[in-house]
Amino acid sequence: MSKVAVITDSNSGITQSQAKELGIYVLPMPFFINEETYFEDISLTQEQFYEMLKGGADIHTSQPSPESVMQLWDEVLKEYDEIVHIPMSSGLSGSCQSAIMLAQEYEGKVQVVNNQRISVTQRQSALDAKLLASKGMSALEIKNFLEEDKFNSSIYIMLDTLYYLKKGGRITPAAAALGTLLKLKPVLQIQGEKLDAFAKARTTNQGKSVMINAIKNDIENRFGGMTEDRHIWLQIAHTANEEAAKVYRDEILAQFPGYDIHIDPLSLSVACHIGPGALAFACCKKIEV
Amino acid sequence: MTSNTIDAKMLSKMFLAGAKNLESKKEWINELNVFPVPDGDTGTNMTMTIMSAAREVAALGEDAGMAALCKAVSSGSLRGARGNSGVILSQLLRGFTKSISAKDQLRIPDLSEAFEKAVETAYKAVMKPKEGTILTVARGGAEKAKELAGSGMEDMEQFFAQVLEHSRYVLSQTPELLPVLKQAGVVDSGGQGLVEVLSGAYDAFLGKEIDYTISENVQESRSGSRSSGYQAQAQAEIKFGYCTEFIIMLSKTFNIKHEMDFKAYLESIGDSIVCVADEDVVKVHVHTNDPGLAIQKALKYGQLSNLKIDNMRLEHQEKLFKMSEKESAQAAAEPAEPPKPVGFLAVSAGEGVNEIFKSLGVDHIIEGGQTMNPSTADILDAVDQVNAETIFILPNNKNIILAANQAAELMTDKNLLVIPTKTIPQGITAVINYVPEMSVEDNEVTMMQEIGNVKTGQVTYAVRDTVIDDKEIKQGDYMGIGDAGILSVGQDMLQITKDMVSAMVDASSELISVYYGSDVQEEDARRLQKELEEAHGDCDIELQYGGQPIYYYVISVE
Repeated sequence: MSKVAVITDSNSGITQSQAKELGIYVLPMPFFINEETYFEDISLTQEQFYEMLKGGADIHTSQPSPESVMQLWDEVLKEYDEIVHIPMSSGLSGSCQSAIMLAQEYEGKVQVVNNQRISVTQRQSALDAKLLASKGMSALEIKNFLEEDKFNSSIYIMLDTLYYLKKGGRITPAAAALGTLLKLKPVLQIQGEKLDAFAKARTTNQGKSVMINAIKNDIENRFGGMTEDRHIWLQIAHTANEEAAKVYRDEILAQFPGYDIHIDPLSLSVACHIGPGALAFACCKKIEV
Repeated sequence: MTSNTIDAKMLSKMFLAGAKNLESKKEWINELNVFPVPDGDTGTNMTMTIMSAAREVAALGEDAGMAALCKAVSSGSLRGARGNSGVILSQLLRGFTKSISAKDQLRIPDLSEAFEKAVETAYKAVMKPKEGTILTVARGGAEKAKELAGSGMEDMEQFFAQVLEHSRYVLSQTPELLPVLKQAGVVDSGGQGLVEVLSGAYDAFLGKEIDYTISENVQESRSGSRSSGYQAQAQAEIKFGYCTEFIIMLSKTFNIKHEMDFKAYLESIGDSIVCVADEDVVKVHVHTNDPGLAIQKALKYGQLSNLKIDNMRLEHQEKLFKMSEKESAQAAAEPAEPPKPVGFLAVSAGEGVNEIFKSLGVDHIIEGGQTMNPSTADILDAVDQVNAETIFILPNNKNIILAANQAAELMTDKNLLVIPTKTIPQGITAVINYVPEMSVEDNEVTMMQEIGNVKTGQVTYAVRDTVIDDKEIKQGDYMGIGDAGILSVGQDMLQITKDMVSAMVDASSELISVYYGSDVQEEDARRLQKELEEAHGDCDIELQYGGQPIYYYVISVE
């Protein structure tokens, strides 16, 4: 049996210290803030990031440099036979494309998973990969498994403001249509590769129930309905909004009794486009092995 | 000498006479509205409903048979129906014609059956029939008719006299059934309208001299668009052409006697009068054909400011012109495109509110609501403008929901779904909560739920003295009206508005949206926003220009 390592990037929300506990490697995402380079969870904390974001700092995200990626792979391959590499969604970043290209030089030892996950659902993929590796699957088998499973997840994000989305130029035509005369709280969805407008709400409470209904709808129509065995992971993510996330967890539990709900800060490369105060509700179908 | 049977010719005369009699009492019936708000009035709505049928009947000519007459009455009133009482009247007429259309001569048992069918049909059309209304009066009359028919009565004149008398009696009892009527000291206005129709019909039966000519638009309503009759009617409605407004800065005493004299003078030259005195200023609003007279009279009390005179006839013509232009433009660009799955239609008034609806993706706006309730036919015309398989209709007024429901029933080639929004904010919330990726059914459920979470308050002025919810209201007072009744009354608009909002806000409130109307200055609205922010620190206050007539402020709390 070959020894398979799991690598993801800091978009998964897995911190360096959690990574050590889980036996997963996490590649930090670089940020250019006011022309200086920072690495998520290495030289940049959540608090520092939001402080600079609110202060109007000029923030750009970037892919991990090819050098940093290959260095990590080389390092890990000293100990392991193969690597499953799970980058952030190819729809949101070029990281995945670059990694696939770089992996060609590793003769199949590095398998890059293109399953279009981000944040809490990317985290779940990393955990799933770890589980599959422990069951004896090869890196290629894990990659194929995760890619087949890619549409079994959903994320809805309610924004507190359209300001950052507009500023970053990341606003898609559909999302732009939300810029109406009224102040609205847009609800976006990440489904597969695109970040797009899903619905709109006037108040936080309306937005929260829109997301709950959307997840229920997905579970009913795409993930085989609500079952006794609770075969769905539920997750909440937020941008500098932890208190609200905890309140939301209780509200969700009232409608999904008995479920475990994982809460994470939303990864900073998403946060810098949507700003603070956002709340996300996500679900993944549990894998069957 | 009257006969004991009725043929189509007589029935047609009786119907037209009933319609005419209702029309002649229209203004008086309008006055019976419990809420003294200057909007969609029962008398006007019922008259426009029955006139739509009367024009079709008049167009038939003298020799039409019973079947053709029944069809004209039924379809004409259904399409012309507007307002709740109008819709109920149209259902009464439709029901009445059901059992008689195959007969040539009607005797008392036939009429009794027709009355029974009328009541049955009307009750079915209303989701929660309320007693003490037009329904009760209709039922009372029908029960009397049944009793008389059962007793073997043959004398038609006696029959009519007794049915009419009993209907009047039931009408007089409506205040006992509906406390709001009792408190306001009026009988039910819709019931009164029905009695006027019966009374006119009875006069015709007796052979009294009656002018049966039905207004100018016979030609139009027979051909062309469904709503042409409505437009002509709407135009005929403008009796006084200039909307005149100004403020008198008093330099002489203006006590209650002066105020009454001044109001009486304004009444002699126009209508829609508002005259509110507040220490050293008097605010005046009047529709008149000679604004100069109003101004000259006002100059006796002091200098004038904020003068505004609009020619309403001209505006109206422009509106009609624009409408026809739009229609022909749309006709030219034939919709070769395949219909989209879902469209939205909203009833709205005020350019600001219209813009908001459009920016939220509403395909077509039906102008109307507060001042003019659109008819079933108007709604159907608007539906034609929306190229979609399923169309959600937002009536945005509780007096338009029934007409919208009726339109949904009459429409066969598109799926019309009425979301029963009673106010503009409910309509805005409904369309905001629409999610394109969800099914029509799920969206319907969500919208229905969410409109229940919006509280609406509207500020307007009282058109007459009355008492509602134990609150004494004087003509010209400002009133804050919530979802379930009057929340505040008084002379100070700002204070009334703030009191109304305070009565609406609770611990779970997050957002207060203020839509200010066409008669409110932006700076006054800003001041209200500021004071609301101070009073309700936990809530976001959002100020929007609504531009709606009649309601100074429409405010939602959610």
